[in-house]
Amino acid sequence: MDFLVEGLRRALTLLAGADPDVIGIAALSLRVAVVATLLACLIGIPTGFVLGTTRFWGRRAVLTALNTMLAFPTVVIGLLVWGLLARQGPFGGLGLLYTWWAIVVAEVVLAAPIAAALTAAAVQGVDPRVRRTALTLGAGPLRTHWAVAREARFALAAAVIVAFGRVLAEVGAVMIVGGNIRHHTRTLTTAVTLATSQGDFGLAVALGLVLLAIALTVNVLLQLFQGRDDAQRA
Amino acid sequence: MLSARDLRVTRGSRAVLDVSRVELVAGTVTAILGPNGAGKSTLLSVLAFLEAPDAGVLTLDGQEVRTRGEQRAARQRVTLVDQAPLAFRGTVVENLQWPHRARGGSGEVASTATALGIEGLLSRDARTLSGGELQRLALARALLCRPAVLLLDEPTSAGDRTASDAVEAAITQARAAGVAVALASHRLGEAYRWSDRVLGLADGKLDTVTPENLFRVVLPTGTGVKAVACGALTVHIVTDRSGAAVLAVPPEDIVLSAAPLSSSARNTFPGRVTGIVEEGAGRLSVTVDAGTILVARVTPSALRELGLTVGSPVVLSVKATAVRVL
Repeated sequence: MDFLVEGLRRALTLLAGADPDVIGIAALSLRVAVVATLLACLIGIPTGFVLGTTRFWGRRAVLTALNTMLAFPTVVIGLLVWGLLARQGPFGGLGLLYTWWAIVVAEVVLAAPIAAALTAAAVQGVDPRVRRTALTLGAGPLRTHWAVAREARFALAAAVIVAFGRVLAEVGAVMIVGGNIRHHTRTLTTAVTLATSQGDFGLAVALGLVLLAIALTVNVLLQLFQGRDDAQRA
Repeated sequence: MLSARDLRVTRGSRAVLDVSRVELVAGTVTAILGPNGAGKSTLLSVLAFLEAPDAGVLTLDGQEVRTRGEQRAARQRVTLVDQAPLAFRGTVVENLQWPHRARGGSGEVASTATALGIEGLLSRDARTLSGGELQRLALARALLCRPAVLLLDEPTSAGDRTASDAVEAAITQARAAGVAVALASHRLGEAYRWSDRVLGLADGKLDTVTPENLFRVVLPTGTGVKAVACGALTVHIVTDRSGAAVLAVPPEDIVLSAAPLSSSARNTFPGRVTGIVEEGAGRLSVTVDAGTILVARVTPSALRELGLTVGSPVVLSVKATAVRVL
């Protein structure tokens, strides 16, 4: 038990003293997660919108493929991206492997299907009269989509949060394409893995607490967003 | 203004709409009268360019509307208020500002809200409105689109009196602004009260048969019993209304007899039977030419007792209080 208490004590010391290593790792993790989530949502949300609002041949097959991608082993995605970005791979010339951009690419591949599948489900759940009413009032395609998105905004916000959570918590793919290089590609999750394997339980706990704090903050912000809407409706 | 030719809409192998011609004219109100499931909502969806027909030609202001782009442009000029309208998330005033954002410059929110009696609801959450209030909001929102064609699908389905008054206000405002209005309804009274022209729709087909015993008249001023010319007949009625109206002589309230009755009925018309049709459910429809065609509804036993056949002379009696003013 002593090592647990000792680990927790050291974690609090590191956090209270704003340890530069911990701060650096947390900042890189946040940067990578925010950029990857933004890109994943830029790709996934419009894709989900199209899948949820239009009927075309092969739509069900695309939805099935998308849902399958949600359960794709992340190390396989890491391996795939590694193959594409490796020096001898098709995008090797870009020199992205073992940079934080490589982590972003892998995380976008992971999170975009999540954003797309959840968006498709969200817009499919919107009352079909929303689209019809918007059209009768003379709205063009963009405004009509905006009306649908506005009705589904909590579900869409949840899709963004889930995508963010997914990229923030990823280890396997990040380790493969980032290489866990100190000050360059070491994120919170890979640092926790390394610290644990090196027996530095205190550092691992400190980094884990930061990870938890970020997740908690994001969820509190979502609750506040929903609460503000409820207050407006009351 | 808006016309449709040879419209056909099918669901599976069944034709739910098969209409040869419909024309909506600026400044007039056309009622589309028919029972539930007759195809009224489908017709309005097609006329609102929300649903493409399987066949047929739609023309707006003489221009054929065919491509998606043309349909999008047409929707800027045609608006539809659905039977179960929807309010967008937000307040009533935000909903009323919607047409302005969607179409650009449009009408005055405050005056339209006042005309439809929702000026006191502007800051309310639109999702908390009652059925009647929602109907009025939808009508106001549609008027604020400044449409050239206004389509109303069962606008009094919410069932309250204020909603009915709001529909009347909306139709009056639209007609005065030169809008072509089409109103789908299954209620005979409101169809005749509000429209200039009534089209019957049954099983997806336009029906030219005029509902029975309806007369477009001009009522004289004054109160109490009035004598009104209905074609070749003079019909006595009891009403305080004056001006243009539609009189309905309910077929169930017409009494048939072989000779004039000594009764309280103020209207007695001799005529000759021109048709007898079995309607089912123990009822017969008897058409009588009394100078003007009238239809009476009787039981088979009553007809047998009177010994009426096609060509028989007959006397029709109707109380003045039974004649309805629509």
